[in-house]
Parts: sequence; structure tokens; C-alpha cells
Amino acid sequence: MNRDRRQLVLMLLPYLIGLVVLVLLPAAATMAMAFTETDLIATSRLIGVANFVELTRDPAVGAAVGNSLSYLMFSVPLRLVIAVGLALLLHRRARGAGTARAAVLLPGAVPELAYGLMWLWLLNPIQGPVNQLLMLGGQGGRTAFGTLPPQWLTDPEDARAGIVLMSLFTIGETFVIVLTARLALPPEAYELAELEGARAGQVLRRVTLPLLAPVLAVLVLRDTLMSLQASFVPTLVVTNGGPPPYATTYLSLVLYQDAFEYLRYGYAAAVAALMLGLTAVAVLIQWRLLRRWASHGVVGVGAQRPGN
Amino acid sequence: MTDGLRLRGVHLSRGAITALRGIDLVVRRGELLVVLGPSGAGKSSLLRAIAGLDPVSGGTVAIGGRDVTALRPGQRNVSMVFQSYSLLPHLTVADNIAFGHRIRGADRRVAAARAAQAAATVGCADLLGRRPHQLSGGERQRVALARVLVREPDVFLLDEPLANLDAALRTRMRTEIRAVHDRLGTTTVYVTHDQSEAMALGDRIAVLRDGRIEQVDTPDEVWHRPRTRYVASFVGGPGMNLLPGVGPLRRPGVEATAVELGVRPEHVTLSSGISPVGPLGEVERVEVLGEDALVHLLVGGHPVIARVPAHTRPTPGDRVSVSVAEEHLHAFDTVTGERIPLPAEAAVR
Repeated sequence: MNRDRRQLVLMLLPYLIGLVVLVLLPAAATMAMAFTETDLIATSRLIGVANFVELTRDPAVGAAVGNSLSYLMFSVPLRLVIAVGLALLLHRRARGAGTARAAVLLPGAVPELAYGLMWLWLLNPIQGPVNQLLMLGGQGGRTAFGTLPPQWLTDPEDARAGIVLMSLFTIGETFVIVLTARLALPPEAYELAELEGARAGQVLRRVTLPLLAPVLAVLVLRDTLMSLQASFVPTLVVTNGGPPPYATTYLSLVLYQDAFEYLRYGYAAAVAALMLGLTAVAVLIQWRLLRRWASHGVVGVGAQRPGN
Repeated sequence: MTDGLRLRGVHLSRGAITALRGIDLVVRRGELLVVLGPSGAGKSSLLRAIAGLDPVSGGTVAIGGRDVTALRPGQRNVSMVFQSYSLLPHLTVADNIAFGHRIRGADRRVAAARAAQAAATVGCADLLGRRPHQLSGGERQRVALARVLVREPDVFLLDEPLANLDAALRTRMRTEIRAVHDRLGTTTVYVTHDQSEAMALGDRIAVLRDGRIEQVDTPDEVWHRPRTRYVASFVGGPGMNLLPGVGPLRRPGVEATAVELGVRPEHVTLSSGISPVGPLGEVERVEVLGEDALVHLLVGGHPVIARVPAHTRPTPGDRVSVSVAEEHLHAFDTVTGERIPLPAEAAVR
């Protein structure tokens, strides 16, 4: 082993040790545990694929898969659209842009539990500010259009929408990444479009979005990976999986309840394996769809090297 | 016939920086005008003012007799090649060339046909299906040119299009650009800091310094009659030797308290005979450039550079006599930097 390699390995070592001890080994242990019955009291015993068979019959798991997929379908695109929209709106130097950028980042800085508890209040059907706002101009507890305001915590559809709504404000990271990517785009590309008399919509469609595509593709994949877990805290503290039976029960909550409320660690490990599988499939499908769209090799336009 | 392009008193400032300070410039229709100057002289600002990318803070810009000062870039019908070429990485060469047509709503097939035609003009028809990252610097440059040609604009603007190429390719592309211009005859403003490029390419050269134009003339005139000391020292490789010191000078029409004399390195004659024909100079350094050699001398304490055939070059430490034919002498007013015509000048050309 030569000097450079040794140095490289030494520098990577702390991270690699952490990765193995904290991620890979527990993951392997979890996968193994999925084939056992484990409650941490009695001795674990191997039960083959019984946990997985039970998964297919468990109504909570069935509902959670559906809920998780619907969450993913709404939350991921909406979060990205909002983050991109705000980043493109706020990338210019303008009065108040700095404050506005900070405001976009702020919800992400609130501890998750506090964030959840705050939404418990925000979404209260009667006293909550959200519904107070929606009922402005309406009479008898109805909105201005005469409809009932959303029953966030008691109606299944509204509750699921509420969970998605909660996820739309913690987009700080995505926002910062898109903002940075936009600022790194070469001004010449925009001047070129300007010389051709391109309108704002054309610039967005033909210049900005294609140039951001590689970054956006990565963000979609990343958000998908995270989203199966992201729904955990809100469902735990705001809806507790309800309204009954399983309106906002997501896989992460099923896993938590099986492991830490029902002490069925083996079964919970099988749920974890299912989550991993689902995430892998979702990412694989997206990767196939996005690869062609985002595959133009270089990100920058002005990054040419001199010479030949 | 109207002018291709006319600027009157154009000022341009961005924040505290003033890039252009009153530019008056006429580019004739079909002419290739080279704007020459060091970095920071305002060359790119001048192009951006013409294109409308930076709004002028004073003066007017007219293209083909039409005042475009208040128009947005897209309404001026100009095309521009950026130094970085600015090809869009997600588009093929064909789509990059067709970009302008597509933005303007042209039919996909019409735009593609035009793109192929323009690509053929600059010799990159075989690249149409590729993407920018698969191209060499020279190929990118051709594609950028094709994109400018395809739209048949009133004015071409080229911002140091060859600056990122190696020397050999630069010389070849320079010839090709000139050939394309001669074929199409589109009014062109070409910015460069390379004086040999300016000489080789331009119908006329505008020498820019600190946001002002020092001289606009044919390459011959700029070479033989630099209007200012600055032009004399900037144009040439190396520029003119300037020796301080004679004066005051009083002649009909001329009044200068002090005069600087100028002579191009090419016109300095060195001889090492026994009877000196001019003042003696001491050779400090010699740089051989193939056929020629640059001889750095100290003459009476002043540095002077002579360009002599390499086989006649002296060696460092030699003392040689330095002479200049009278008709090759230039004179500049030390205070204003302006050229002072000398009597012998009439005989030069």
C-alpha cells in the first residue's frame, strides 16, 4: 500500500467505522431478526418467513403501504415544486430577499417534536388558525363558499392531507440546494436567451429547468428516500395514526408500534425490510425515468477548458 | 446607404464603476470592426451596450439607422458569441444552433434545416448530433459561430471568440472567421485584446482605453500613424519604443512643451562597425523568435527594443551603434499624448 492510499484509508477510517458499526451491522442484524420471533424477554427463535406471511395479512401494514405511497406521491413533487419556486423567486439580490430566504429555512430549524405539537394546534378544527383563516367571511362554522372547513384530525382524507401539508414547510435543505445550483448557472446562458427575445416562461422551460435537471433529479431521489421516514413524527404526535382505524398510519409508525408498543421486534424488523424494499423500488423506478432527462454530462455551460 | 451601427456619446456605468465614457463610433454596413484594448478597457461593456444586455446610462445606439437604445436585447436583431461559447449542455449541437429559431417560434423542421445549413457554413455539419461535452474547444467555437450565423441578424457581436483556443487553432479560425464574414457581409464587431488578431482580421480597428476610443482606423493607419502614444505602445509585438525628452517644439500648428520620440522595434537598425552611425547601446538580453530576434538595449540609460534578423543578432554585453531612419520616427506630445506630425512623414507612404 503506497503512501497516498494509506492516507486516504486513514482519513476515511473514522467514517467507515461509524458506517459499519452504526449502520451496516444493525441493518444486517435487523434483516436477520426479521426471520425470528424476538421480544427481548423470551429467547428469540427462528420462525422462517412467518413474519413476512403475516405482513401480507396485517390490515395495518396494508393501509400503511397505501398511505405511504400516497404520501410519497403528493409530498415529494409538491415539496420540490415549492422549493424550486421559492429558490427561483429569491435567487436575485433584492430588498427583503435575505429575510425571505431565512424565513424559508426557519421551519426546518424547529425540533421535530415541537414542530408536530405546533401543528396539532394549527390544525385544530375549531380554534386552529388554519381553519380560522379558512372560515373568514363564512358563517356558522363554514367557509365563505358555504362548505365545511377540513376536519384535519377526524376525517381520513383531510388527516392525510394535513400530514402532507405539514411536510411542505420543512423544505429548507432542498431550497438551499436549488438556490445554490441556480446561482451557479452561467449568466451567459440567460443572456443568450435574452438576445433571442425569450419570454420568462421559455427561459424557465428551455434554460433554467434543463440546466438544473441533474440537481433536481438527485433531490427527487433523496426526498423519496427520506419521505417514508419523514411521516413518522407528525403521525406519532399529531394524529397517532388515526383517525381510526389506519387513516394516517404509515409504515414508519407501524414499525414503531410493533417494536416499542407491542414488543414484537422480529415482526417490526420485517416491516423495516418491507420499507427498505419499497424505497428501493421507488428509487429504481425514478432513476430509470430521470436518467435520460438529467444525463447531459456537464452541469455548467461556461465550464469549458481552454485549448484544442 | 445607412450605417451598420452607430453609437453616439455612449456612457455605461455599473454602480461605482464607469465602463464606457462617451463612445462615438460608426461601423459601416458590412464592415468588420475590431475593438482592441487591454482587459478592463471596456471592450466587453461596449458589446453589451450594443446588444442591450447592459442598459446605457447615456447616449444612443442605432442599428441600420434604427434607434435601438430603448429596446430590449431580443428586439435589436443582434447575435453574440460569448468568450465561453455558452452552449447549452442539455441540447445537441443541432438544437443549440436552432435555439434562437425555436425561441422565436419557428417550426421544428425549418429550424433544423437552417441549423444544418449554418453548421455547414462553418464546417461543423458532422457534429450536429453531438452534445457540447463531447466537443473539443475548436468544435465548440464553430458551433457557437454557427448559432450566430443561423439567424441572419443585422449585427454580429463576437466577444474574444478565440481566446480559449491554442495558438495554432487561433490562427486558423481567424482566417475562417474572416472568410465567413467576406461571404456573408454582415456588419460585425469583434472584440479582442490580441493586437495581431486585430491587425489580421479588421477592416478597421478601434483602440479602446479606459472606456474611451483612442483611434479608429485601418490596420495600416493604426500601425503607421498611431494617433496617440498609447496606441503606439499597445499595437505591435512589442509596441513602439518611446524615448522621452526633446522640446519644447514650436512649429506652425504645433506647440508642445515636451516631445517624446517613438520608433518601432522593427525600424531600429543595429550596427557594430568601427565608425558608429548613431549613439551606442549596450545589449542586455536577446530573445530569439525563430526568424527574428528581439534585442533589449540600454541607450543613454533608456530601454530600447530592436527587432533584427536572428542571424545578425548581437550577444548580451555587446556595444552596438543604434540608428533609425528619419522617416520612421514618430513624435508625441508628452503632456497630451497626441501625435505630432513630423516633416519626414509625408515621404513615408
